[in-house]
Amino acid sequence: MEENKLEFNDWCPGCGDFGILRSVEGAIRESGLDYKNSVLVSGIGCSGKLPHFVNAPVSGVHTLHGRALAFAAGIKLANPSMKVIIDSGDGDTFGIGVGHFVSAGRRNVDMTLIVHDNGVYGLTKGQASPTLPRGEKTKSLPKPNINDSLNPVALAISSGYTFVARTFAYNTKLSTEIIKEAIAHKGMALVDILQPCPTYNDINTNDWYKDKVYEMDIDPVVKDPSEELAKKNAALAKAYESDGKIPIGIFYRNSLIPSYEERLKDDIPNYLEYYPAMQAIEKDGRSTSSVDSMIERIRMV
Amino acid sequence: MIGGAQGLGVDTSATIFGAALAKAGYYLYGSREYYSNIKGRHSYFNVSISDKQIKSVTSRVNILATFDAETVFQHFTEVKDFLIYDKALEGTKLEMVRSLEKEIADEMAAVLENEGFGTTLLDVVKYLEKHGCKAIPVEYGSIMSGIINEMHLQPPIAERARNMISAGVSFGLTGLDKGYLIEAIKKTFKNETFVNLNILAINAGYALAKDHYGLKPLKIDGHRIQVDGNTASAIGKVAGGLRFQSYYPITPASDESTYIEANQMIKSANADGKDGGVVVLQTEDELAAINAANGAALTGTRAATATSGPGFSLMNEGISWAGMNEVPVLITYYMRGSPATGLPTRSGQSDLKLAVNVGHGEFPRIVVASGDHNEVFSDAVEGLNLAERYQTPVVHIIEKTIANAYSILDENSIGLKGAKIDRGVLSGGSDDYLRFKFTENGISPRAFLGQAQMFYTGDEHNEFGHITEATSNRLKMYEKRNRKLDLADAEIPDEYKLNVSGDSDTVLLTWGSPKGAILDAMDDLKAAGIAIEMIQIRVFSPYPAKKVAELLKGKKRIIAVENNYYAQGAEILAEHTGIMPTNYILKWTGRPMTKDEITDAVKSIVNDDIKKVVLHGGE
Repeated sequence: MEENKLEFNDWCPGCGDFGILRSVEGAIRESGLDYKNSVLVSGIGCSGKLPHFVNAPVSGVHTLHGRALAFAAGIKLANPSMKVIIDSGDGDTFGIGVGHFVSAGRRNVDMTLIVHDNGVYGLTKGQASPTLPRGEKTKSLPKPNINDSLNPVALAISSGYTFVARTFAYNTKLSTEIIKEAIAHKGMALVDILQPCPTYNDINTNDWYKDKVYEMDIDPVVKDPSEELAKKNAALAKAYESDGKIPIGIFYRNSLIPSYEERLKDDIPNYLEYYPAMQAIEKDGRSTSSVDSMIERIRMV
Repeated sequence: MIGGAQGLGVDTSATIFGAALAKAGYYLYGSREYYSNIKGRHSYFNVSISDKQIKSVTSRVNILATFDAETVFQHFTEVKDFLIYDKALEGTKLEMVRSLEKEIADEMAAVLENEGFGTTLLDVVKYLEKHGCKAIPVEYGSIMSGIINEMHLQPPIAERARNMISAGVSFGLTGLDKGYLIEAIKKTFKNETFVNLNILAINAGYALAKDHYGLKPLKIDGHRIQVDGNTASAIGKVAGGLRFQSYYPITPASDESTYIEANQMIKSANADGKDGGVVVLQTEDELAAINAANGAALTGTRAATATSGPGFSLMNEGISWAGMNEVPVLITYYMRGSPATGLPTRSGQSDLKLAVNVGHGEFPRIVVASGDHNEVFSDAVEGLNLAERYQTPVVHIIEKTIANAYSILDENSIGLKGAKIDRGVLSGGSDDYLRFKFTENGISPRAFLGQAQMFYTGDEHNEFGHITEATSNRLKMYEKRNRKLDLADAEIPDEYKLNVSGDSDTVLLTWGSPKGAILDAMDDLKAAGIAIEMIQIRVFSPYPAKKVAELLKGKKRIIAVENNYYAQGAEILAEHTGIMPTNYILKWTGRPMTKDEITDAVKSIVNDDIKKVVLHGGE
């Protein structure tokens, strides 16, 4: 069966995805994850193939364009014992799936979203993605990009993500550490990973990034609710920093906001101990779900 | 029939009226019509009463209970026996009722003018009296002030009891003891003030009416429930082991999800079992709703979503993914008037072929359409079973008219106690597990996320779940998936796939809600010397082609009866069997078919050889 377990990796040579793959593998290994306790969920595009390429004993769910977060939420809420890691592209996340991205912040489900952020739609031959700055004309664009770019870190913070980080694909040491911390964080985490697309993005290349990225030195942790606004403002200021340098690291981290799973416990007290996926729903082929109380309420005579 | 402005408790009074009749031993079927509006627009309940279980309403109204002018103007032509109306509104002119739609206003004004009447409400009363109806004026205003003074209440609180006065008058006409109504009020309201308020309203109304219909209390065996389609589906799904439901708000589907959420802690039927919770996730859109359900299903949780036409359109891609990845997911499809936003609060059957073909690509879809509230209960359970047994998406169609109508049913007829649960072939996982293993019948033993290493992808994949575009694999995997529909076809019994009632060379071929009207029309047609047979298709995929062809062989007339324009159910029949209907009874106004409409239409087809009858009754 071993030959089944890994698919041929068909990313372009020099793709930033390789750096992300190494970092994800490292984080999985060092966090002790396997198919029993975790799952990798991905969207569509080059990044979407990542689960098929990971050299680790985890399961993968390669979903639809833009919808990885929706699938992931269903998996996590049905089985909250699983660590759920999502790999998604910038077009996937901030274009076709941006509604899910924003809504995930409101829920704060305990999941880790890793965005492969290279400014282009690679698999469809290099169209501008929502993170490509206005005016840039990467090599397969017929005209300079007419749209402004969105800022993933700022959008995550304002959407309610409780762990927000940016890193660089080829800084695998930092990326691995940050992904591990994101996995350990109880709540919705974004790890936006800047990466070159050697085939279609001839502007934001590996060398271009190497000169600009630097590991910032801020304290992103909210230790008391009173600090929340100040920490968010500091993180937003850092996220928009534009003096030619690009800060990487953790921008914001708040463990004081209850996760969606914790919120559910108000209505379902034994939710975490007896979650949907582990509930016995039949015995000897017969339903074990009593609807007596519901029937009683509509009983007229 | 009781009508009035939306938001003023028409639903509550109709439900209480129904509960009281149930307590007296009667069955009923109540159909609800309303606008896409929160407050103020006209809404009404059409309630039919019987000594046996019924499934439809009639278009000839015995009692029209009103407390506003609009209901009178809109419905007076339907009244046979009594109009209950507000005396203070006698001077109101039809053209003064701004919310009455222009088309209806013109039509009704013409009816009055043709017989030389003016357009005031008093003219309507005179019109009705000329046509043999009785009008019962009610001085709502003075009755309400009396109650308000007696109970020292704020008028806005008391106002909600206004419609109970007309319920009291109607109940008085039935001849039944008002004690039944008071009992129903006590069951509905917990707050003592509301109980007393409503009882005063009932008493005032009841005193205005004399026994006309002479109904006597009937003997009751066992328990009876009053249920609408949304609730029936919710309870059925829970009984069927549902533990995850995702949804985005849409009429008329949301009530199901909110009902499940309100009742989300499920008691175990076993003494040693644990109580467990159903997760109900309100998503940001229907794209998220279907795909969250897909994700939940991969964990071994019974998962479903509920939506209506516009949301179902958005779910296409997610359902296609479920087909490709052999995901057991149930989509409860509340069908309303389409296309686009269409008639958002009205009913329809115009999306049948969308349901049968939902999602791009070829994969097995199982499509079940319920014809009444009993079927909604059992199809909700069976939908979850079929999804897991064949590892494929199941669409359960419930039309709006069934979703919002309510029935009194014998409790033991719903069969949910110890409902059959079939989880299909499970693997439990192993080191060499293959999620999409090739097997003779196409079913790969299923393991859940967490039980084994496995991969899912919307791309064509090998047995392990990795992407492959190799022809040899494509040939086999594609066939494996689609073969499951043949298996489902062979295994799902014909007795489940369709219902046959009566025996005649005149067949009414239908599906969904017209079933009720047809069954209820059978006696009237028999009395008119016309025997009919009804064939109701319940499973459209896999379609019971052989059985239907056999049943239709040698029939003189095949009349397609559907709430759409194209007779889509008959088109599916033709696609599978080459058999075409000889006649049609169609209705696409969004209102349900009534038994009189069916009776009249069948008569004109049989007696006058009319090819196609288009119905438009109700407003």
